[in-house]
Amino acid sequence: MTPILVAEDVSKHYFATQALDHVTFAIAPGEVHALVGENGAGKSTLIKVLGGICRPDSGRILLDGSEARFHAPADAFAAGIAVIAQELRVVPSLSVAENVMLGHLPTRYGAVDWERTRAAAKEALARLNLALDLDAPVGSFNFAERQSVAIARALSRRARVLILDEPTAALEDREVERLFEVIRRLKSQGVAVLYVTHRLEEIAAIADRCSVMRDGRVVAGHGRGEFGIHDLVVEMTGREIDLERPGSGETAGAVLLHDVTDERLALRERHILGLAGLLGSGTSQLLRRLFGAERGARYTLRGEEFAPLHPSQAIAAGIGMVPNERALGLVLSHSIRDNIVLPNLKRFGKGAFARMDERAIDDVVRGLIKALDIRPAVPHAVVRSLSGGNQQKVVLAKWLAGRVSVLLMDEPTQGIDIAAKTHIHRLIREFAARGNSVLFASSELHEMLSLADAVLALRDNAIQGRFDRGSGLTERVLRDAMHGQR
Amino acid sequence: MNKDSFVRQIPLITLLALGAAIALATDRFLTPLNLTNVLVQASVITVVAMGMTFVILGGGFDLSVGSTVALSGCVAAAAMMKAGIAAGVAAGVGVGALVGLVNGLVVTVLGVNPFIATLGSMVMVRGIVYLFTGSEQVPLDGTLPKPFLDFGVERFLGVHYLVWLPAVLLVALSWVLAKTPYGRGVYATGGGREAAFLSGIHVDRVITSTYVWCGALSGVAGVMLASRLQSGQPTAGEFYELTAIAAVVLGGTALQGGEGKLYKTVIGVFIMVVLGNGMNLLNVSSYWQRVAVGLVIIAAAAADQLRHRR
Repeated sequence: MTPILVAEDVSKHYFATQALDHVTFAIAPGEVHALVGENGAGKSTLIKVLGGICRPDSGRILLDGSEARFHAPADAFAAGIAVIAQELRVVPSLSVAENVMLGHLPTRYGAVDWERTRAAAKEALARLNLALDLDAPVGSFNFAERQSVAIARALSRRARVLILDEPTAALEDREVERLFEVIRRLKSQGVAVLYVTHRLEEIAAIADRCSVMRDGRVVAGHGRGEFGIHDLVVEMTGREIDLERPGSGETAGAVLLHDVTDERLALRERHILGLAGLLGSGTSQLLRRLFGAERGARYTLRGEEFAPLHPSQAIAAGIGMVPNERALGLVLSHSIRDNIVLPNLKRFGKGAFARMDERAIDDVVRGLIKALDIRPAVPHAVVRSLSGGNQQKVVLAKWLAGRVSVLLMDEPTQGIDIAAKTHIHRLIREFAARGNSVLFASSELHEMLSLADAVLALRDNAIQGRFDRGSGLTERVLRDAMHGQR
Repeated sequence: MNKDSFVRQIPLITLLALGAAIALATDRFLTPLNLTNVLVQASVITVVAMGMTFVILGGGFDLSVGSTVALSGCVAAAAMMKAGIAAGVAAGVGVGALVGLVNGLVVTVLGVNPFIATLGSMVMVRGIVYLFTGSEQVPLDGTLPKPFLDFGVERFLGVHYLVWLPAVLLVALSWVLAKTPYGRGVYATGGGREAAFLSGIHVDRVITSTYVWCGALSGVAGVMLASRLQSGQPTAGEFYELTAIAAVVLGGTALQGGEGKLYKTVIGVFIMVVLGNGMNLLNVSSYWQRVAVGLVIIAAAAADQLRHRR
């Protein structure tokens, strides 16, 4: 089939960085085309060029075989190319109908024609097989539903190319299934779908083709049946990466932390315990409670009763927390050094108004930057300017700088590329091997299976079961435990 | 000089350029008498603006400082007439700190938006001042103790005490902010409240403390102003909140919190004071002066936006 949208020999550079290096890419009507690559491989830039958000330095964009010059995103949108970004462009306070029709509300005698607005919105939502309350504010719906509203808006403008940027990053498994149904419907209606994702296992489920990017180039293209995860990873990273090294590889020591009400929640020295559950299953709340960020936890720590009421108490007891968003783990406008010092102020200063030991801080910070290979290796670099993987290393460094023996981690590798992910997994294993203990939540089963010695499955804020490695911990068991029997 | 360090020095460059322009326009600017005048004019508002910097660094905002200046001046004068200088100063600074504590608790415990919370206390405190003084100056009869009045005019090493005081406060408070765990907590709370909380900072206490600093420093400013005016004036401190906020912004402190320095706020104060002084020397009408000051504030806020868009 003739492609609808083509990027032909497109290059784009930002300062010294060659973001796109003579990229040629094509997508056909009714095709679902997955685009994968590590962070910084050029996926975002390619989306921006195709979506009219930025213009290439050289090369051409062809729409229906003739050259298209987009000066603004609105031009591309009008031409039928819609980008659905991770941060959805919906207005929470406005109704579903108004959001779907935003930018081209039908009018009658100069006033908005609400009848036609609702009818058109209803039709666009029907194409997604979706019936939302048209008059309810979008803010009252969850992320998956808002995403549908954003897609419906694109359809109401007769979008023929839909570009989805990591659409499943914030979705639960059930919602992912729904989104896939929507994508299949659109495909049958002849819409071309460009699908950017970090979750490689999704590709086999939805894509017709898959392009792999690395260092600003398209390095490989695959058709259906050629989507082996291992091969994709090798192409993305340019080298073999060991995804399946199991657990901590250590023998468990004494119990460090033990929940008073549920004996299955027990952390041992040198062990990594996983919390498997979807968004909303209560994994984040459980971790926050153990850390004292929310009330209600009662457990024993090294044999003594402990019920932290504030994170400072948990930190003093040697517990650290890696939250599920980097903006919660880091003060983004501050430097690497300031962020590392923050939870350790008591270690470096004798009192709130006492001078801190700046030399000791410098030594610790420099040592951690080196040990964790944080780049740039500049203590005063602002963390906002770091890549996701390096930011997450700084969050780890915050706790390694103190003397924590228990690390609570919520989605420790969310949204970071595979090389950084592997590195962070190694750091977690090394931390455990030093006699410490890790409890981490993840919605990625692969991460769970490669990192955890034992897994607690959570659902509806309750522990459903505990599965130890060597006695029945398989992907199948976990899926069943988290979703119930299918 | 790279682009970043150039951007950081914009406030100082602005001040120097402004001074140079005024010096070229009139030879009455660079005289010892006029420069002394500028320093004394800047002294009181500098103390208020330093307090404002604490609040804004911590992610808050305080509109009540002008009213607090008036309240502290009047309370200090009244207490001084009854119980002596030390009691008067303590009462003035203490009542300022109390206003700050109330602001801080309203913001943290009740969760009221800082702008609205301190808009309320700005109006309320001004009302209390008029109730307390019967809208007359304090004291109505008699004079304040002579040593207190001397403080407002005397010099040490050729520089007014009124100028020494903010200079000493600047050094001490800069050290607190930059070098102590408490100071790092203020920056972190303003830069990312939830991240600071999850790093073990008692963010509500920190935020409340910034309002207490601001109130107490407004109290100090009120006492200084009473010494200079030889009385507590119920109308004192009007528009101080605007000047102080403008100075903080001109100094490049981020309005969303977490980034900024006290000495830069002082540079911001001097931009405002030198601008006013220059326009007075050049006989610019007071109406045009207001237009100019307004423009400068907007330009500084726009620069703040541009800096953070990079």
